[in-house]
Amino acid sequence: MLQAITKRLKREKRGISTVIVVMLSLVLVVMIVGNVVLWSYQMNQLDMDRMQETVTITDVKKHGSSGTSMDIKNTGPLSLRIVAVWISTSTTHQRYDADLFLNSGESVTYIREDIEFPKDAFVAKVITERGNVAVFSED
Amino acid sequence: MRRKKVKKLVKRFLRDKRAITPVLSHLLLTVVAVAIMSLATSATFMITTNLRETMGERVIVEDVWFNSATGTVDVYMRNVGKADSQVSGVYVNHVDESFNGPFRLEVNKHGWLRIAYSWDSGESYYIDIVTTRGTHVASYYKAP
Repeated sequence: MLQAITKRLKREKRGISTVIVVMLSLVLVVMIVGNVVLWSYQMNQLDMDRMQETVTITDVKKHGSSGTSMDIKNTGPLSLRIVAVWISTSTTHQRYDADLFLNSGESVTYIREDIEFPKDAFVAKVITERGNVAVFSED
Repeated sequence: MRRKKVKKLVKRFLRDKRAITPVLSHLLLTVVAVAIMSLATSATFMITTNLRETMGERVIVEDVWFNSATGTVDVYMRNVGKADSQVSGVYVNHVDESFNGPFRLEVNKHGWLRIAYSWDSGESYYIDIVTTRGTHVASYYKAP
């Protein structure tokens, strides 16, 4: 039975090119769809992580003679990285680069001697690597 | 001896003209097939790259400063996506405004986008920033 089918397949040459074209097209389609689906999944994962991330600034105080200390808490389920600190007053908006990791549920006091504690009302912000912002305002 | 054999073989090959047409046609068909497949593969690569870049574009606004010293609205932006980004238009209250263009942000880069707009204190403005791929970053901001 199997031998007969093999023999027939070997003899019958019609439709071979169609089959090859269909197979090659299929490979291309699978490549496109697979690539897009995988990338979409990866970006969705990034967006999900970003939505789950929550960080809060509980207090901003003067540290030493002119520095600033910030109490930051990660209240989300994921660890996060703070990449920037903003101190904004009515006259200036200043950005400072930062590099601080916080595990889930962790609280830290972030001390920066180079950030001058503002004399007037201010708004302090921290920016995470995923793009979330925590705000603290002091009148 | 060996040289003679090779010479004989070449002579025979040159004299024998049979089956040249099928060989040529097969060769041409192979060339055409390879060319078409290369085109298809390049197109696939281009399409997926464009799609990936469009899907991977993420830009955030870190800070908005209604700058009274310069009379502009300064927006600090950061590229948190997986593709480079370029701002193509800025709309304040749905009206196209000029900015310090071309404003291009590579992945993980950040910078000030300065919008030439005379704002009034206490007013709220809907600022919509559009990238070349069509991503919108829009929100309401109140001038101090």
